[in-house]
Amino acid sequence: MITLSQVSKWYQDFQVLKDCSTEVAKGEVVVVCGPSGSGKSTLIKCVNGLEPFQKGEIKVAGIPVGDRKTDLPKLRARIGMVFQHFELFPHLSVMRNLVLAQIKVLGRGKEESVERGMRLLERVGLREQADKFPGQLSGGQQQRVAIARALAMDPIAMLFDEPTSALDPEMINEVLDVMVALAKDGMTMMVVTHEMGFARKVAHRVVFMDRGEIVEDAATADFFTQPRSDRAQIFLSKILQH
Amino acid sequence: MFANFDFDVIIRSLPYLFYDGMTFTLMLTAMATVGGIIVGTLLALMRLSSMRLISLPAAGYVNLMRSVPLVLMIFWFYFLVPFIGQWITGAARPIQVGAFMSSLVTFTLFEAAYYCEIMRAGIQSIPRGQMAAAQALGMTYAQTMGYVVLPQAFRNMLPVLLTQTIILFQDTSLVYVLSITDFLGAASKVAQRDGRLVEMYLFAAVVYFIISFVASQLVRRLQSRIAIVR
Amino acid sequence: MNYNWNWSIFFETSPDGVHTYLETLLLGTGWTLMTALAAWCLALLLGSLVGVVRTMPYPWPVRLGQAYVELFRNIPLLVQMFLWYFVLPELLPAAAGDWLKQLPDASFYTAVVALGFYTSARVAEQVRAGILSLARGQRFAALALGLTLPQAYLYVLLPMAYRIILPPLTSEFLNVIKNSAVALTIGLMELTARARAMQEMSFQVFEAFTAATVIYILINIAVTFAMRWVERRAAVPGLIGAAAPAATH
Repeated sequence: MITLSQVSKWYQDFQVLKDCSTEVAKGEVVVVCGPSGSGKSTLIKCVNGLEPFQKGEIKVAGIPVGDRKTDLPKLRARIGMVFQHFELFPHLSVMRNLVLAQIKVLGRGKEESVERGMRLLERVGLREQADKFPGQLSGGQQQRVAIARALAMDPIAMLFDEPTSALDPEMINEVLDVMVALAKDGMTMMVVTHEMGFARKVAHRVVFMDRGEIVEDAATADFFTQPRSDRAQIFLSKILQH
Repeated sequence: MFANFDFDVIIRSLPYLFYDGMTFTLMLTAMATVGGIIVGTLLALMRLSSMRLISLPAAGYVNLMRSVPLVLMIFWFYFLVPFIGQWITGAARPIQVGAFMSSLVTFTLFEAAYYCEIMRAGIQSIPRGQMAAAQALGMTYAQTMGYVVLPQAFRNMLPVLLTQTIILFQDTSLVYVLSITDFLGAASKVAQRDGRLVEMYLFAAVVYFIISFVASQLVRRLQSRIAIVR
Repeated sequence: MNYNWNWSIFFETSPDGVHTYLETLLLGTGWTLMTALAAWCLALLLGSLVGVVRTMPYPWPVRLGQAYVELFRNIPLLVQMFLWYFVLPELLPAAAGDWLKQLPDASFYTAVVALGFYTSARVAEQVRAGILSLARGQRFAALALGLTLPQAYLYVLLPMAYRIILPPLTSEFLNVIKNSAVALTIGLMELTARARAMQEMSFQVFEAFTAATVIYILINIAVTFAMRWVERRAAVPGLIGAAAPAATH
C-alpha cells in the first residue's frame, strides 16, 4: 500500500533523511520510533507530500507521491492524517470540522456527510459534542475528533504523527483505545509514536530511525526481544524504564 | 473669548454639513474599507507566495505606498486616473472622473497597502499545522485559504482592521486639498463664506472626535468578545 | 497618451525667477525635514512625559494622560492644524492673537506644534507599552534599592523601554515625515507643496510628482538605515537585537 524507496531529503545543506526504504502492506500497522531529531516526523510527512523530498520514490496505492503530474490534493483525500497538535479548525464546530472536507473535496451531499460524521463521532465516543467548538473540548477529545475527521474521508491508509505526545497522561489511553480499535478493524496504519505499549499490542512491524536513517525494520516481537543494533538497544532501554 | 460664539451658523448649516459633507465622508470610508481589505488580502497572499515574480512586485507596491504621504498620492491619482481610464477604455482623451471616483480609487489603493500588512500578520499568526491539516484532507490551496486560513486570520485581525478603518475615516479629511466637499470641506466652505472659522472648525473637530472616540470604544469591546479559543 | 513628457523641466527656472524647479523641490525637502525633526523632538518630549505618567501608580494622572491621548488621536491631523492655525489666534487675547497672525513663518511654527502634539499622543502609547512590557520586578528591584520613583524611571525603566520600542518609534518618525505634507494646507512650502506648485506652473504633472515620490522614498531609506544603525549601537548584549557572539567556556 505504501512503499518508500531510497528516500533522501535535505534542508539546505543538512540531510534529514538518508536513503530510507520501507513498506506498509495493506492492513498492516507499522510503528515508527526513534529519538528526537531522527527524522521520523519528516518521513511521515513525505508520505502524503506535505514535505517534499529530493531523492528516492514514495508510492501510495501505486501512485507516485513525488511525481509532478500527481494530483496531490486528490491523493491526500485518500490518505488520512492525524497531527500531534490535533489541528482541528477552531473557528468551526466539531460537526463542521467533520463535514467540511467531505463536502468540498469529495463532493458529498450535506445530509450524507452529516450522517457519516455522526456515525464516526459515535465510533470515537463523542456523539454529544457535535455542536461544540474545539476550544471547548479537552485535548483527548479534540484528538479523537481529529481521528474521526480523517476517517470521514474513507481513507485507504492512516498516518499518525505523534498523536499522543501533546496530551496529558490521563487522556492518552482514550486516544490509544480508538487507534487500537481502528487497527483491529484492519486499517493500514503508519504511526510515529513513543507509546511502546501500543506498538506491542497492535503493531505488526516496528521501524527504528536514528539521525535520518532507518536503522532497524523488524517484526514487533523480534524488535522488542532481540534488537539488532546498539542504537536501538540504547533507545529501548531509555524508553522502557517507564 | 466665547462671547461672540455664533451657534446659529452651525445650526443653519447642519443639513449641508451632514447631507452633503458627512455622507461623502462615510460613503468614501465604507467603500474604501471594503475595497482596501479585498485588495489588501490579495496583496498579502501575493507577498506570502514562494514565487518571487509574484511576491516582489507586491512588496514593492506596499513599500511604495507606505513611504509616501497620502496627500501626494491624492494628487497623483487625481491626475493619473483619467489617463488610466483612457488607457483601459481606449478612448481618445483622458476620461473625466468625478471627485468621488478619484478619491475612492486613491483611498482604496493607498489603504490596501496598510490592510495588506495587517492581513499578512494575521495569516502568518495562524499555526502552520492548520494549513497542513487542511492539505492533508485533500483541500487545494484555494480551499485551504478560503475555508481555513483566511476566516481565522480575518477574525483574529478584526480589531486591528477596524482601527485602521477609523484611521481611514480621519484620513478622508485630506480630500480638502482638492477642494472636495467632504465633511471638513463642507465645514470649511461655510466657515469661509460666513467668516466663522472658529465655530465651524471647532464643530468639525468635535464631530470627528465623537465619531472616532465612540468607534474606537466599540472596537475595544469587540476585541474581548471575538477571541477564538484554541 | 496625449501627455508631453519633458524631463528637462527640472533644470528650467521656476516662476520665482531665481531657482530652477529642481532647486525649489530641494528647498521644499529642507522644510519637510526641518518641520519633521522639530515636531519629532516636541513629540518625543511630550510623549515620553505622558507615557510615563500613564504608567504611574496614581489614578488621576493616568486618567488625565488617557484623556490627552484620546483627544489627539480622535481628531484628524488636518483639523488639528486648522485649529492651531485659524482658531487659536482668535481665542487668545487680542494682542497675543495678532502677534501670532503676523509671525513670519507662522505656518512652519504652527505645523511643528500641531504635528508635535498629534504625534506625542502616539509616542505616549508606545512609551507606555514599552514600560508595561518590562517585568514588574524591574520597578520593585529599583525601588528596593532605595531609588525614588523618578530615579527608577530614569535609570532603570526608561533605558530598557526605549530600546524595546525603537522599531515602532522608527515608524512613528517616518510617519511624522509623511504627515508634514498635510501642512501644505496652511501654507507651508514643504516638498509636496512645491511639487504641486511645480505642477500648476509648468503643467509637467508626472515629472513633478515623480520627483517628489523619489525624494520621499530616498528619505525613507535613509531614515530606516540610520535607525537600524542606532538599534545595533543601542542593543543590550544577549537581550534584544544583534548580540555579541556567545562566549564559549
